[in-house]
Amino acid sequence: MTTASQPVLLEAVGVPDGHTIASYRSRGGYAPLEQVLAGKQPADVIEMVKSSGLRGRGGAGFPTGLKWTFLPKDHPGPIYLCINADESEPGTFNNRILMEDDPHQVLEGIILSSYATRASTAYLYLRYEYPQSWHRLQAAIDEAYAAGYLGKNIRGSGFSLDVYLHRGAAAYICGEETGLIESLEGKRAWPRIKPPFPAIEGLFRKPTVVNNIETMACVAQIARRGVDWFKSIGVPADPNNPRDPGSYGPKLYCLSGHVEKPGCYEAPLGITARQLIDGQGGGVWKGRRAKAVIPGGISMGLMTESELDTPLDFAGPGKVGCLGLGTAAVVVIDDQTSIVDFLHNSCRFFAHESCGQCTPCREGTSWSLRMLERIKAGKGRLRDLDLLAEIGGTMGMMPGSTICGLADGAAWPIKNAIKKFRGEFEDYIKRTNPSGWMVTDPVPALQIVGAH
Amino acid sequence: MPTIIVDGQEIEIGADERLNCIEAARRAGKEIPHYCWHPGLSVVASCRMCLIETGSRDAATGKITMVPKLVPGCQTPVKDGTVIVTESQLVKDSRARVEEALLIDHPIDCPICDKAGECLLQDYHFQHGQAERRADLHPFTSRRRDVGPTVTLFVDRCIMCTRCVRFTREVSGTAELMVTSRGAKEEIDVFPGHPLDNKLSGNVVDLCPVGALGDKDFLYQQRVWFMKREANVCGGCSAGCSIHTEHNQDTIYRLKPRENPHVNGWWICDEGRYGWHHVHDPARIVAAGRRALTGGAFTTVEWHDVVGRLRDDLKSAGRLAVAVSPMLTVEEAWMLCAVARSIDPEAFLAVGHVPRQGADETFPGGFTIRGEKCPNRLGVEAVVALFDPAVRSWDDLVTHVRGGKANAVWITAAYPGPWLDEAAAAAFAGLDCLVVQDLFESPLTALATWQLPAAGFAERAGTWVNVAHRAQSFGQAVRPPAGVWPEGRLFWNMLGRRGLYDPDAVRRQVAESSAALVALAGEIPPHGVDLRIAQLA
Amino acid sequence: MIAHKKILTDEMVAKIEALAPRYPNRRALTLPALHIVNAELRHVPLDAVVEIAALLGLAPAEVQDTLTFYQFFHQEKPHGKVRAFVCRSVSCALRGGDHLLEHLCRKHGVEPYGTTSDGELTIEPAECLGACDFAPCILANDDLLKNMTPEAAEAELKKPRARAT
Repeated sequence: MTTASQPVLLEAVGVPDGHTIASYRSRGGYAPLEQVLAGKQPADVIEMVKSSGLRGRGGAGFPTGLKWTFLPKDHPGPIYLCINADESEPGTFNNRILMEDDPHQVLEGIILSSYATRASTAYLYLRYEYPQSWHRLQAAIDEAYAAGYLGKNIRGSGFSLDVYLHRGAAAYICGEETGLIESLEGKRAWPRIKPPFPAIEGLFRKPTVVNNIETMACVAQIARRGVDWFKSIGVPADPNNPRDPGSYGPKLYCLSGHVEKPGCYEAPLGITARQLIDGQGGGVWKGRRAKAVIPGGISMGLMTESELDTPLDFAGPGKVGCLGLGTAAVVVIDDQTSIVDFLHNSCRFFAHESCGQCTPCREGTSWSLRMLERIKAGKGRLRDLDLLAEIGGTMGMMPGSTICGLADGAAWPIKNAIKKFRGEFEDYIKRTNPSGWMVTDPVPALQIVGAH
Repeated sequence: MPTIIVDGQEIEIGADERLNCIEAARRAGKEIPHYCWHPGLSVVASCRMCLIETGSRDAATGKITMVPKLVPGCQTPVKDGTVIVTESQLVKDSRARVEEALLIDHPIDCPICDKAGECLLQDYHFQHGQAERRADLHPFTSRRRDVGPTVTLFVDRCIMCTRCVRFTREVSGTAELMVTSRGAKEEIDVFPGHPLDNKLSGNVVDLCPVGALGDKDFLYQQRVWFMKREANVCGGCSAGCSIHTEHNQDTIYRLKPRENPHVNGWWICDEGRYGWHHVHDPARIVAAGRRALTGGAFTTVEWHDVVGRLRDDLKSAGRLAVAVSPMLTVEEAWMLCAVARSIDPEAFLAVGHVPRQGADETFPGGFTIRGEKCPNRLGVEAVVALFDPAVRSWDDLVTHVRGGKANAVWITAAYPGPWLDEAAAAAFAGLDCLVVQDLFESPLTALATWQLPAAGFAERAGTWVNVAHRAQSFGQAVRPPAGVWPEGRLFWNMLGRRGLYDPDAVRRQVAESSAALVALAGEIPPHGVDLRIAQLA
Repeated sequence: MIAHKKILTDEMVAKIEALAPRYPNRRALTLPALHIVNAELRHVPLDAVVEIAALLGLAPAEVQDTLTFYQFFHQEKPHGKVRAFVCRSVSCALRGGDHLLEHLCRKHGVEPYGTTSDGELTIEPAECLGACDFAPCILANDDLLKNMTPEAAEAELKKPRARAT
């Protein structure tokens, strides 16, 4: 596959005042929108996005154009577009850069997507922890209204759109699409049971599409550079597998952890973890080797050092037992880091963020954290590893035991860590609890340490 | 007719029925365990206890395709060809895990928890749970938190099913209960200064699958396995909510709603729920008393003697007027009228005083409390109509008596509390014979020559007709105190009938003579019968 | 009976009402209203919850339910003039985030989530601030403090800082 040499999604990074409308226009921005509004129908835009093979960049990788077609035809409205700017997956920060450095790219994508889906209002749900993005986005929205790209009868097309920022309050589960919707509606962010799906009954019980920030940026670039351009980048669909939608387009990879050069790097979908770490990343830090690498945000689990040649496209990580590509946030863990500490950190995160609605996740995340705390306190048992593996294997949407995928995200690091690094866990437990590692009966709990 | 396959067994459901898998499986005799689902509340599918395997059977080929993962039975509707599997290893393991998860942090309170014996957590543990604990040990007892005047909360027993919160938002519309915090730290609470205090509050205790929500009125009073349950009807207002009276050794301990889709759904109001204490009030009249002069002491008359002496007194006084209380059953009302007319063929029959308090109140979920605070005005009116189409009212009776047209007045009352003042009672002064049959002393009993005890609602057997013309029959739940003869037994004997009072026989007799009450002729089903529909038929 | 002094100023109410046309119902104003009050008072006291509920046509328990879910709004007393969120998620933890948090808490004599007695500084653990390119990092009001060490963090947190948006 051809590689893209110049950054496209990140074209404004480093450009002075790159976040302004003037700068965006000088780079060709908003011309595609004007052309679409002047001569294309919403169905044309849907077709364009479908043909491009764009898959959602928020973590699930669902084909974007296809998702838009789930909206009911001829609905009297209102139809809503929710932009998921709640980016909270540990290791992930590409949305932040897009919003801070090129908010108009995101906005143009939003306006095009709203036009395609006939949404009359777009709510941009922005996490609290991004105040700079808040300011940049609000300024961009104001500029767009002033330029006539938002509001009533945009550019005389008859299409009207309002975009509103809505601020979150530091809860990870608001990144789940129906958790986001519940939060926007003013309630606790407990994800909804499906069906009904948001396209049928979403925000305020109206048809709703929820899309990620990076996905919106891709829509703007597809409109500017074309479907063929987008499809020339990445990994094409497997001709032997009619269900494979391929992994097209440029992707923003976030690289962090134990690397020399943490940062957000644009590359065609399909780059391997090793290429990213040794190339853009400057290698594992301090001359060390990698012990484990998260492929796409902590929910995706772990790859071992020998698995680093896995292509980071939508299909790759699954082949080595990870949950998927997720947010393409690559986090490197060096060989001097205890995997027990890693898993404790992961379990603490998910216990803190579990919304608490359904039994397996609420109790499973809490139970696994407490076991990790006890293991770290030198009172672990080998038996705990079996229990952790069982929790990891039974908690989640995939077996059907939970309402949303947070539980799958909580389970996967446990599953991968225990399976791929069991020896290290066993050594740690035996070493730190020489008198008790073999006990199989229940043991007294530690003083319960809250995850909050 | 749509066919559903439950664990290999085929069952048919109605073409228009909308059932979920739990309801469908019940038709096949299979109970899918569940905590958070309730037919009267929104579906949240959060407890995950009802996870089952489902699939569909192709109508043409008969091939069964199963969904590759577990799904909640509560949120999955059934249609023709739906396949439900409730007992596979996958399902059993899932249930065992949910049980285990709920027990990890559950206080070991069974010995001191009211819910023991009717607790779903206990029951499902024995039916579906794991034999041994695998999680760390930290035995503890629950914190207790006051959430309102009638309900208490044992915080740590809660399993976060959120039925109680949904009830206050969807059914009572008062939204006092809330979930606080997030994840495993979530708790139920009320906002400070805004306690759980609405007219339907007590229902949340019924809804709670475990011993988290407790009824202050019942707390620590009785172990549930000692109590018996009688299907009754609440006597508090004309809604006629179906209830269960739970009692032991003739003492009532609590009332619970009995599901009746035609009347109260799944709920009762607090006034009805706690409206049984008067039955055990030590101030009740418990003896038949007679006195020669007003103001002297009553002499107790033995019940067998009451039958004859009461008749003699009323006959010798002459010009009888009777108030047929809307607290009486249809059967009692009919017998009273018959007795009255057998004493005085021109006895003036009136419907007794109808207590009213406030307006009807309907809650967002549809439940209605009636302002008419008696259970059987319509039934009594229909009976009185058989004897006198004029169907006189209490006011008519007062006018009649004030006009000097009666020498003997028999007032049946049986109201749970004070119902008239001295001024109202004064109309009945100076009669040759005043019989008052009531639960408590009043300005009226102060004037009476005969003071007879009345039955409390749970001591009565018979039929009441509610505001919507639905007739419900019920049996006696507890025996009255001190050998008291309830109205039914006294009237039965005064009619000269042999043997024990048989309300069914009276009911059938009433049905024969009344077009309005013809539906009472047959067996009355547990949810009652709509009298108007039977009339149309 | 002493008249209850209003917590929500006219300005706060005006800000909340200005957002009303954006949403088809009042309940959706809950989170924006909590932020507006919090930005001003650095906490959302119970009395404010009652006023917000009345303004939006909700029961106080409904607003409190939402508020407590986020584990974000202080209620008993204001948080510090500087609210320092110290990230402890995986990328920052790998580069010393937990040690940073522990050090700062010890240095300022507070437990995590605690406020110094002079009311100046609150130190809270945060989950992934989305600045893993600059791990370990701290969000102090609106400012992202990058590549922090305990010493650099101490120096930064001494500086006066504009209030958070």
